[in-house]
Parts: sequence; structure tokens; C-alpha cells
Amino acid sequence: MTKILCSKMKNWFNQLTLKTRTTRLADGTLSIRPVSLTWFYTLLVVVIVVYFFNLIVLNYFRQISFSFFVSRIPNFFTILAQMVTQLDVDYLSNTLTPLLDTLKMAYLGTLIGSLIALPIAFLASQNIVKNRYLSITMKLILSLFRTLPSILYALIFAFVFGYGTFVGTISLAVFTLAISSKILYENIETLDMGAFQAIESTGATKLQAFTVSILPQIYGNFVSTALYSFEINIRYSAILGFVGAGGIGILLNDAMSLRDYGKVSVMLLGLLFLVLITENVSRYVRKRVNA
Amino acid sequence: MISFQNVGKTYPNGTKALTDVTLTIEQGEFIAIIGLSGAGKSTLIRLVNKMIPLTEGTLNVDGIDVGSLKGTSLRQYRRKIGMVFQSFNLINRTTVLNNVLAARVPDLGFVRSLLGLYSKKDKLLGLESLYKVGILEKAYTRVDQLSGGQQQRVALARTLTQKPKIILADEPVASLDPITANQIMKDFRRINDQENITIIVNMHHVDLALKYAKRVIGINKGKIVFDGPSSQITEALLKDIYGRDINDEDIMFKDEKLV
Repeated sequence: MTKILCSKMKNWFNQLTLKTRTTRLADGTLSIRPVSLTWFYTLLVVVIVVYFFNLIVLNYFRQISFSFFVSRIPNFFTILAQMVTQLDVDYLSNTLTPLLDTLKMAYLGTLIGSLIALPIAFLASQNIVKNRYLSITMKLILSLFRTLPSILYALIFAFVFGYGTFVGTISLAVFTLAISSKILYENIETLDMGAFQAIESTGATKLQAFTVSILPQIYGNFVSTALYSFEINIRYSAILGFVGAGGIGILLNDAMSLRDYGKVSVMLLGLLFLVLITENVSRYVRKRVNA
Repeated sequence: MISFQNVGKTYPNGTKALTDVTLTIEQGEFIAIIGLSGAGKSTLIRLVNKMIPLTEGTLNVDGIDVGSLKGTSLRQYRRKIGMVFQSFNLINRTTVLNNVLAARVPDLGFVRSLLGLYSKKDKLLGLESLYKVGILEKAYTRVDQLSGGQQQRVALARTLTQKPKIILADEPVASLDPITANQIMKDFRRINDQENITIIVNMHHVDLALKYAKRVIGINKGKIVFDGPSSQITEALLKDIYGRDINDEDIMFKDEKLV
């Protein structure tokens, strides 16, 4: 027992001192395990977690007493209770048009963004565009687009073009473009280029070869990505209304600031209904496309 | 007519794939290029349609200096040259007919190629090509449902739809079983006989090369070591080409007598 423990300790020590570990087989052949840095990365993760926990959670309780925190928990349930007991069913008719606006914004934004994503993905794919600088520039622009959250786009576009559903639509289009072109170019870069090469050898241009040989291969993924963006966009477009981009978000923001939780819950139920429908429709379409 | 004048190819990493290749190929010939893998067979074949650009010498095809072609003139030139690959290189997620029609894309506008709007004439041409290789009934099947031999036939039909003057085939039967390989080679031979298309096939398998090609070119380490009618090949010449004795791996039908 002590012997095993000793050898374990020795191994640990060897790893800390970055030494390789050797095992001798019966006939004297050596098996050499290379230096592993797993222990180091494990330690790193633990240190970071402790640091962040201290920074965020413990600091909160240093400023606010724990008993205060506990005493506030019931408020959460008060709001929930109000949402149920004060459910404002009559308000439902007022929410239909804004809900439909939300749906329209998400639908159009997804469609425009996804379609523009195709040529952008073409230009960003290293295996199709041989000009490294062009594809790297495209990728850089796309990561820049992804960095900004869609609510920021809505704020900027609202400032530039005024308020309403149009602003929401273009914000969602830009957001969709940014995520789906990344998914698409990563897909394209893993494709087998044989078919593309074969079409190029018939005298087709790169663009012609792309439309004929690459598009059919990424079609399924393209539709899935578009549907996934659509699901996200429906949720996002509800928030976009908070900054004046049209749709259900405007009413939601008003009701929230008036603490009219009965109206909030009606709108949330409407949104839930919308999300459930789109998720099921998109699951069905995805199945058909990828079959 | 294809004429190589002292053609050489050195890759950017310094590898010398071909040296001092001089050859003349007349319209309608059936040529097999044999040699070990890495001998330069693929490079030689890909120089013809400039999938790989040459670095030394001149290559002239029907009066066109291939070395100087680029952009539109290169694409125009490639339309008359078909290519068949070892791994078929078909578009998997679509039908046989769509694959065959893809060869007509260079003549199509962007929108028409995007939507797959081929002319009636093109469709007829595609179906006729499929008929020529004997898989007309598979026209509306997805290619990923076909066997390897059938897929290579689709690739051959695609090439025919191009109405080529030359067909380049890079190891077209290497990933097929012997019986299917034999059938595909028969298709090549029939097309060569009936349509006067020049066919240049790279192969590793000596017996198939000797059986179907009218002329054999042997390459060893980037140099042509034999060029003549397949009837003139002897065991000694094969040893020169392969740099060793012929073994089982070089032959598809192991029981038949070779030379």
C-alpha cells in the first residue's frame, strides 16, 4: 500500500518537475509517457473559479447582508403570484398586433440575413477563395459583427433610421448574417472539394462551381441554421422593442415599468405560444430537409 | 493534337515531379500512363487541362499554348477537356441528372445555374450521355444511393455531356472491384472507338492498361521510360517502368497471364 502511494507521489512530483514517466516492461523494454500538463490546467481552472467567486458572489454579500438577501427571496414569488392572480385576459386582444409584428420582424430579418450570409460565407471560405487576405478580412469583419449584441444594433439603427419594426428587422438581419455566415463558412471549409474541383475542370468559374457543387452540400445545414436563427430572433425581437425597435417589446417594457405583471404574463404567454409553434415547425422542416 | 516539348514540373516546395517530357498525342488515341504511385502520372495528366501549371517547356493542344492560358481563355479551353477522378468527385446530395448537367454550367448564366434552369437541349444531351454509359434509368436517383461502379459511370456521363475532345482519367478504376473496373474500362474503350475522343488514363494496374489502351506510356521518377503500342510491352520493360518486378498489387486479375 505504502509502496503504491509512494510511486503515485513520485509520479506527481515528476510531473511537477516536468519529467517524463517511464515504465519498464518484463523484458526490459521501456514505455515512456510524455510530460503531461493536465495538473497545471486543472489548477488554473480552480484558481480562476475561486477568484471569480470571490469577486462576484462574496463581494455582493460583503456589501449586502445575507439576511437581506434571504428576506428578498419571497418578492420573487410575489411577482410570480401577481402574474398568475392578476392575469389580464382582456389585454390579449391588444397584444395580437404587436406579437404579429414581432413575428414579421423575426421572419424577414432571418430571411434577409441568411440570404446575404451565403455570398459572405463564399468569400470567407479559405478553400474556395485562394486569396488569403480576402478571406481573413471577411472573417475579421464577421467577428466584429458578432461581438456587438443585437440590442446594440437596434439602438444604433434606431438612432440612425428612427423607431419601428423596420429598425428591428435590419438589426436582426445583421445579427443573423453574423452568426450564420460563420456556421456556413466553417461548414464549407470542412467539405470534400472533389466535386468543386471536377466542376472547375469543366471550365466553370469559381462562382458557378460553388453554386452547383457546394450549395447542394450545405443546403441542409443552411436551412437548419436559418431556422435556428429564426427561433433565436423571435426571442430577441421581444427584447428589441425595449429600445424602440417595434413589436411586443414596447408593450412589455411599458407593463414592466408600471409593474403591471398581469399584462406581462399575458404577453409572455403569447410569446411562449409563438416560440412553441416556431420550434415545432422548424423541427419538422429540419427533419424533412436533412432526410 | 497534344504536344509536349521538354515539359517539366517543379512544385513550389522543390519536388521535381516531371523532367523533360516530350510527347505527341494524336486526336482519338487511347493512352494508358503506367508507373508507380508518385512517379508523376497525376501531374502529367493535370498539366493538360492546367489544373496544375507547368514550370518548364511548352505544351501545345490543338494550336493553343496551354502555358499562357489564364482566366476566361483557360476556362474556354477547359470546356473541351473532360476529367474523371479516382474518387468520382460527384455532388452527393443531388440526382444523377443534376450531376451530369453540372457539366453544362460554364454555358449558363449565374441565375440559371443557381436555380438549375438547364435548357431542353442540355437535358437531352445529359440523358443521352447517361444512355451511352447504360444508366439512363438512374437519372432521377440520388447519386449517394448508387454503387461505386455506377457512380464512376455518372462521372463518365458528366464528362460526355461536356462534349469533350479529350478525356483525362486519373486512376478511374483504382477504387473499384476488378469486375466493375473491367466494365468501366470497356466503357472508355467504346467511347474512344465511337466518338473519336482522345482518352488519357492513369493507371496502376498493368493488366487493364495493356488490355484496353492502344498505346502505353511508362513513367519512372518523372521521366518517360517507355512510349509505344501496348503490344510491344515485355516483362523486362515493365521492370524498367516499375523499377522492380511486377507483383500482385500491380495486377487486377491475378490469374490471367500478363504479357
